[in-house]
Amino acid sequence: MIRAIVFATILILLPAVVTGQSNEAPAVALKDLRGRTVRVGDYRGKVVLLNFWATWCPPCRAEMPALVRWQQQYRRRGLQVIGVTYPPTELRAVRQFIRSIGVNYPILLGAEGTKALFDPGETLPLTVVIDREGKIRDRIEGIILPEEFEQKVKPLLQ
Amino acid sequence: MQRKQVMALIVFTLVLALGTVSVSAATKTVTIRVEGMHCGGCSSSVTKALKATDGVEDVQVSFEKGEAVVKYDDQKVTVAKLREVINGTGFKAVEEKSARN
Repeated sequence: MIRAIVFATILILLPAVVTGQSNEAPAVALKDLRGRTVRVGDYRGKVVLLNFWATWCPPCRAEMPALVRWQQQYRRRGLQVIGVTYPPTELRAVRQFIRSIGVNYPILLGAEGTKALFDPGETLPLTVVIDREGKIRDRIEGIILPEEFEQKVKPLLQ
Repeated sequence: MQRKQVMALIVFTLVLALGTVSVSAATKTVTIRVEGMHCGGCSSSVTKALKATDGVEDVQVSFEKGEAVVKYDDQKVTVAKLREVINGTGFKAVEEKSARN
């Protein structure tokens, strides 16, 4: 009986051990629009919404005003939105757009590989929900709906 | 007695038929042309937003065809509202190509 339990446990844990998968968010360091290096890990202790977006992606642009609103509304409860651009990135268009909607959170310059570290899919926007301990709690594909924010993010802000 | 039974059967059939008509009339399908979708990732945003809309029963979005085929309950949601939802995802709902029951 004990052998069977041990065997079952190994079977369950083996894939994660072999592939090195864990819920830990990958350590990424990216440049912001002023050329300063920002580490996502520096925001440990906050609930991070890592939002991959591009100026050429209509749904990405459409969802950003809501991210701005949530950042403002929940900042004191520990919410930190971080935008990461997805190439091709035209810096002038990025600056122009974030100014036009009054983005109130850091925007970092990502590469295709940056997004691939968090999600193998091709959907944009993609938002990775990281808890206060630096663990990935969810990946939200497409525009974050208000009910998704209520269900997947708000409980982490308690 | 027999006449009464026939009448009852006719009334029953009519009630059943009317009920069926009203139920089927509530479910419609519309094809809406969507401008600006260039990849599968784009269509998933439209699909997600439409599926979350009250009254929408089924959604098929194709970025290749540039359209969204939506099965919906016309008692709960209008085509105008569906277009508004699509526009809210950053794309442009141009016009509905066809509408059928």
